[in-house]
Amino acid sequence: MTDTDIQLMFCGSAGDGTIAVGDIFKRAMAKAGYKVIAFDIYPPEIRGFGKCISRVRVTSRQAYSLKQQSDVLVSLNDSYAIPHVTEIRDFGSVIYDQAPIAPMAEGEHISGHLLPGQLPYGLRIREISDQTTGGSKSKNIVALGYLAGLYGIKGDPFHQIIQEKFQHKDPSISETNLRAFDTSYDEGASTFRLDFIELGTPERQDVGNKVQMMTGNAAVVRGCLDAGLNNFFGYPITPATSIMESLATELPRRGGRIVQTEDEISAIAATIGAGYAGTRAATATSGPGLALMIEMLGLGVMAEVPSVIFCSQRGGPSTGMPTKTEQSDLHLAVYGGAGDAQRIVLAPTNVEGAYKCAGKAFEMAEKYQTPVIVLLDLYLSNRYETVVLPRQNPFEADSSKYRSHLERGVAYNRFALTEDNISPRTIPGEEGGIHTITGLEHNEMGRPNDQIHSKMSEKRHNKLLQAFDHPGITIHKRFGGEGKVDVGILGWGSTFGEIFEAMLMAQAEGINCSAMKVVMLSPLPSQPIKEFFSDCGEILIPELNYEGQFANLVASAVSQPFTRLNRVPGVPMQVEDILNQIRHLADRVKSPTAA
Amino acid sequence: MGNLRQPVYLEEKLEQVRESGRLNIRSKSLPTWCPGCGYFSIVDGVTMAINHLQIHQKDVTVVSGIGCASRFPFFLDTYGFHTLHGRTLPVATGIKVANDALTVLAIGGDGDAFAIGGAHIPHAARRNVDITYLVFDNGIYGLTKGQTSPTSVLGFTTSTSPYENQDRPLNPLLMMLSYDTSWIGQSYAGDPRHLSDMITQAIAHRGFSYLHILSPCVTFDKTSKTYSNLKAQVQLLPDDHDSSDKIAAIKHAMDVDNPPIGLFYKENRPTLSDNLDLIVDKARGRNARA
Repeated sequence: MTDTDIQLMFCGSAGDGTIAVGDIFKRAMAKAGYKVIAFDIYPPEIRGFGKCISRVRVTSRQAYSLKQQSDVLVSLNDSYAIPHVTEIRDFGSVIYDQAPIAPMAEGEHISGHLLPGQLPYGLRIREISDQTTGGSKSKNIVALGYLAGLYGIKGDPFHQIIQEKFQHKDPSISETNLRAFDTSYDEGASTFRLDFIELGTPERQDVGNKVQMMTGNAAVVRGCLDAGLNNFFGYPITPATSIMESLATELPRRGGRIVQTEDEISAIAATIGAGYAGTRAATATSGPGLALMIEMLGLGVMAEVPSVIFCSQRGGPSTGMPTKTEQSDLHLAVYGGAGDAQRIVLAPTNVEGAYKCAGKAFEMAEKYQTPVIVLLDLYLSNRYETVVLPRQNPFEADSSKYRSHLERGVAYNRFALTEDNISPRTIPGEEGGIHTITGLEHNEMGRPNDQIHSKMSEKRHNKLLQAFDHPGITIHKRFGGEGKVDVGILGWGSTFGEIFEAMLMAQAEGINCSAMKVVMLSPLPSQPIKEFFSDCGEILIPELNYEGQFANLVASAVSQPFTRLNRVPGVPMQVEDILNQIRHLADRVKSPTAA
Repeated sequence: MGNLRQPVYLEEKLEQVRESGRLNIRSKSLPTWCPGCGYFSIVDGVTMAINHLQIHQKDVTVVSGIGCASRFPFFLDTYGFHTLHGRTLPVATGIKVANDALTVLAIGGDGDAFAIGGAHIPHAARRNVDITYLVFDNGIYGLTKGQTSPTSVLGFTTSTSPYENQDRPLNPLLMMLSYDTSWIGQSYAGDPRHLSDMITQAIAHRGFSYLHILSPCVTFDKTSKTYSNLKAQVQLLPDDHDSSDKIAAIKHAMDVDNPPIGLFYKENRPTLSDNLDLIVDKARGRNARA
C-alpha cells in the first residue's frame, strides 16, 4: 500500500474563497479517511485584499507539522501566488487560470515564474465558473473540482462538504456550485493525471472510533466539556477568542454558565471565585491578558484555590503580533507574579494533546488546589488536525480532597499541614467547614500569620511535585529510540511537531538522534531531562522565542551545555532549519575538533 | 453616673445579645481596628442583619478586597474570602455564578471600591448580580497610615497631599445611580440602629444592592469626616422620598454638605443568575429543535 504524504497550498486574495476552499478540501480528505493537518495564514484586517494562504497536508498516518515544500500550488490570484512558486517541490504541480480576466504582461502571469521541473496546469478555471454559475465567484470550487479529478479522488466526500457549507444559503447556490465542481472534476479526470504525486488508499484503522478534524482551540473546548466545566469567564482576545465563542454556545446547552467579563482581571477573579465555591471554572486568554491576570494568579496560589487558565500565545511583547504565532509567554506563565508563586503549567504539542491537557488541567487544579495554566499558541490554536478522541470520557468528574467527615466540635483547619501537603477542603454552604481564605500568609486555620511562612512555602511547593505522577497524562516523552545517541532534540509546545519531523528526516540521513517533548513546564520534570542529557552527545533546543525561554528553564535544571535554536518569524519554525542544526551537531559529535 | 453603679444593667444587656444568637456569628478573632473605629458598628450591624433574616452562617460568604474595611471577613464566623485590592466584585460575581444559594456580601473601603476597583462596579450593577456591596467610606487610606482617597474632601492634608488635596472627591451615590444599581442606600456608622436596618434591607433585596456607609477614621482624620462633623451633617432622607423616583434620588445624592441617609432608590429586575438560567433554557430549546 502506498504511504500517502501530499501537501497542497491554496493562495489567493481575501475574497477569493482561498481559506474556504482549503477548508472544503481538508474536510473532504478527512471524510475520505486520510489524516490531515492544516494551517491558514491570513491578514489581521477583517476587510481588504490581503494575501490568504491555506496549506493542507494529507497523510496516511497523522503528521504534526507542515512540510516546507508543498506538492501542489493552486493559484486563485497570481500576484499573490508568484512569490510562493519556489515553495513547490521539483516535479510538483502549479494549477492556475489559463485565461486571465484581461490581457496582462507575461511577467505578471504565474506561468512565467515556474521553475524548471515544475508541472504547469493552466486550466479553464474562470471560464467554467462563468459557464456553470454565471459568475466568477466559484473559481475556488472549480479549482477544487480540477484538483479532485486530477488526483482521481472520489467526488462524494466533496459533494457532502460543499452541500454542508452552503446549507444555510439558497439551495440554488449549492446546486450551481456542485455543477461547477462536477464540470471541472470530469475535465480534470478525463484530460490529465498527476504523474508524480501519488495518493494511496486511506487506511481505516480507526473503525468504531469517531475520527474528527478540529483545531487546537476546538479540542480545548471538547476537553473542557468532557471534564465537566461548569463556569467560564472570559474577555475576547486573539487567538483565544474562539474558545469562548464555542463555549458560549455549548456550555449553556449542558446547563453551564458563561459570563463575558469587563476585563481579564475580572475573568480570572470570577474564575477563582467560582473555584472557591466548588465548581470547575476556567478562563482563556493570550499573553497580554495573562499579564493582567498574574496578580490574581498569585492569590490563587496563596489561597490554594483551583482555577484553569488557557493561554494561547501570540507574538509579543505588548500588543505585539496578534495574528502571528510565538512561544514567548513561557517565562510569564512559569514565573510571573509576586513572591514564590509555584503553579502548574502544561503545554500540549498537538491538537489531541490540547484535548488531553484541557481536561487534565481541571483534575490537577482540584487535586493540588492550584491554578493550572495550559499554554497553547496561535499555530496550535488555529491549525486543524484529524484526531481520534476516546469513546469513554477519560477525565475524573471530581478530584477534590474534601473533608470526608466533619466531626462536631473539632475545629476545621482549611490549611492543615498534612503528609501529602494537600489540606482537605470544604466549600461555602458546607456545614462545619466554615473558614476564611486570604492572600495574606496564614496559619493552618487561615488566619493572617507571618511566623509560619517557611513551612507554608514548603507546603505550597511540595504539593505540586505529586503532579509528576498524575494519572493519565504524559508529562514528558522520548521519541525515536532509547539509549545513547549523537544528537538529542528537546522541545515543547507546537514546535515539537517540526522537531519530530526534523528528527525523522535526520534519522533517514543516517544521523543517530532522538527527540524528547516536555509537556509539563512547571514544576519542571528535571530528572527525565537530566537522563535525556546524559544519553545525548549534543542537545538542541528549538523554540519560537528570541531568548530561549524553555532553554533557560532547562539551564536551571541541568549543568551540561546545549545549543539553542531561537526564531521569531511569526510563523511555525522551518523543519529544514532544525534539520540543518541537527546535521551540524552530528558533525560536531563525530569530529569534535572541527567545532 | 447613676447607671454605672448598677452592673445589673450591663449583664442584662449582654444576656440579651447572647440570647439573640448574634455573638455566634462573630468569630473568635478580635477586630484589629483602632478603638473607636466606625467599623465596629458595621460588624454589629451585619451580625444583626444575618440574625434577623435567619440566614444560616454556612450559607453566607463574605468577600473583601484590601484595606482596613477588608479585614472584615476574619471577624465573622461565616465563609470568607479576603481577596486582592479592588477585586472584590468580580470574585463575588464568580462565587454567585457558581452557587446561587449563597448569600454573598462584598466589602471594601472607599479606595478599594472607587480608586483601584472602580472599573468593576458598573458591570456588577448592570448585570444585577445578587450580592450586597457594603462600602465603608472614611475618606482616607487607613491601613497604609493615612493617605488621600478618591472621596477625600478638597483641601484635605495627608502624608501624600501635605500641601492639600486638589482632586475633587467622587460622589459614589451619583455614580451608583447612573450605573442602574437596583438598590442604593446610605447609612452612618454613628447610628447603629439605622445602620443595621439598612444592612438588613440591602441583604434582603434580590439583586445588586449598594450600601454606602459613612464612617470616621479616628486615627488619621481629625478634621474632616469625624464623628462630630458627620453627626452635625448627616440627615435622614425626608419621609416622603419615593424610592422608585430616580430623579429625586439624584437630587438627594447631590447634597454633599448634608448627606442624607436612608434608601435612595430601589427597583426589581432579573438578576444575573435569572438571566443565565434564561440562556440555558434558550440554548436547550434551540438544541431540542435542531
